[in-house]
Amino acid sequence: MPFELIVGAWVATGLTLLIFTFLYKDNPLFKLAEHLYVGVSVGYIIVKTYDTVIVHLVVKPIVENGEVALLIPVAIGMLMLTRYVPKAAWMSRYAFALIVGMGAGLAIPRTISSFILKQIEDTVRPLLSLTGPDGITFSMDVLNPSSNLNAIIILLGVSSVLFYFFFSIEHSGVGKAVARTGIIFLMISFGAAFGYTVMARMSLLIGRLTDLIEFSDASYGRPTIWLVILIAGALFVLARRRPDHPPDRQ
Amino acid sequence: MTLSERMLQIDRRIIFLVIGLCTLLPLLYPVGLPIKITSEVRGVYDHIESLPEHSVFLLSIDFDPASKPELYPQAIAILRHAFSKKLRVITMTLWVSGTGMADQLVTQVAREMEKEYGKDYAFLGWSPGGQAVIINMGQDLYSAFPSDYGGKPTKDLPILDGVRNLKDVTYMVSLGAGKPGVEEWYVFGKDKYKFEMGGGCTGVMAPGLYPLLRSGQINGLIGGLRGAAEYESLIGQKGKAVAGMDAQSATHMAIIVLVIMCNAFYFSLRQQRG
Repeated sequence: MPFELIVGAWVATGLTLLIFTFLYKDNPLFKLAEHLYVGVSVGYIIVKTYDTVIVHLVVKPIVENGEVALLIPVAIGMLMLTRYVPKAAWMSRYAFALIVGMGAGLAIPRTISSFILKQIEDTVRPLLSLTGPDGITFSMDVLNPSSNLNAIIILLGVSSVLFYFFFSIEHSGVGKAVARTGIIFLMISFGAAFGYTVMARMSLLIGRLTDLIEFSDASYGRPTIWLVILIAGALFVLARRRPDHPPDRQ
Repeated sequence: MTLSERMLQIDRRIIFLVIGLCTLLPLLYPVGLPIKITSEVRGVYDHIESLPEHSVFLLSIDFDPASKPELYPQAIAILRHAFSKKLRVITMTLWVSGTGMADQLVTQVAREMEKEYGKDYAFLGWSPGGQAVIINMGQDLYSAFPSDYGGKPTKDLPILDGVRNLKDVTYMVSLGAGKPGVEEWYVFGKDKYKFEMGGGCTGVMAPGLYPLLRSGQINGLIGGLRGAAEYESLIGQKGKAVAGMDAQSATHMAIIVLVIMCNAFYFSLRQQRG
């Protein structure tokens, strides 16, 4: 096995186990791994952005191909750095105005088209189908996303939830019943979102544990086993050196 | 102190231990629970399956190592499928922090499937701008990516013959862990340049993307590790996602049991206190 793979396995295992020590309690080992993670991530992004943007998209085209027109966006970008010079900070507004204007101009029409109009269209989908030789057909099926029964449920849900957030009318009588229906739909929606979130977090845990199992192999030098022993020992020493605190209840 | 009181004040580390064991044991001793294929995952699979050879398939790897456990298996399964169908596979990323990982992923699967760089597949790398990159690609792919990840001019890549912009893409899948991701690809890509599109996402994002799926704005959605496991089952190459499904089921069962127990102890305590 290549040496760099073995080193990578040891580093990955060590950092994973250091992060897991937080499950016991907050400690310096966890903080070390956390700071390393943030530092390496930011460092990687800075280097990659510098290489791609400055070197490949700005310097090389200007020097090698003579694309001097690129100096215009570079100058606009440089205006942002005037924020660091209080007297010249006003100049940065031109750059921000351009970015905000362009962003809003691009996003508003497309967002209205993609999310508002398309979603309204789907919500008010006709409940009865008039196509086919039999005239009006009912194709209600909860398992079929395009069925009329689902269309009714979605129409009911959207209307009642919108009514729940309509505070200009007192929620009493029929209004109370509609608002309560809206709450039920919201609770189902939050439940589904929470269920998926739990699934996602468990998937991340599975990913880490899969790697730990893989790296317990002899071909890597069994980093999982050795590092578990080492980190458990370090935690024990740390616990002995510091006065006992009640476990963090958060 | 009664049993209910003691159970409701249980040390959280015991719960961590229970969840940890429920995850670890099925990974060490897999049971092989059946995996049901959902229509949303089948949507992506069926569309790729229906594409003729040499169709242009664009895969945007819009995630970074933080979402690797969920989206990496999805990307591997989709790439294997696309390569086996002999599609022209163009890959890229909108996430600068995921560039190295995306390169490693594409290179690994291509080597495994014995595909040649430039002829069968390409990795364009990352370009700054997020959604602006998508719009730029819709106008001129070569201006958004003048060179590929290795610095080779994209105009010299045989795989891009006849591909000028996003309108020439037959099918596109974005595997997104946030923004920019599936939504941005739909809003600034598909809706504007009219190509067929599918999506893959983390479990956390899936409920938010279901409205796009239902309205037909995307034709399929692979959600989280479970979606990846379904895709692996569909292509008949079971990998890390399928292996993780037993653990996923066990932890979900443990959480359900814990929730029921907590509620039972809570109501029992309330009854005791009158």
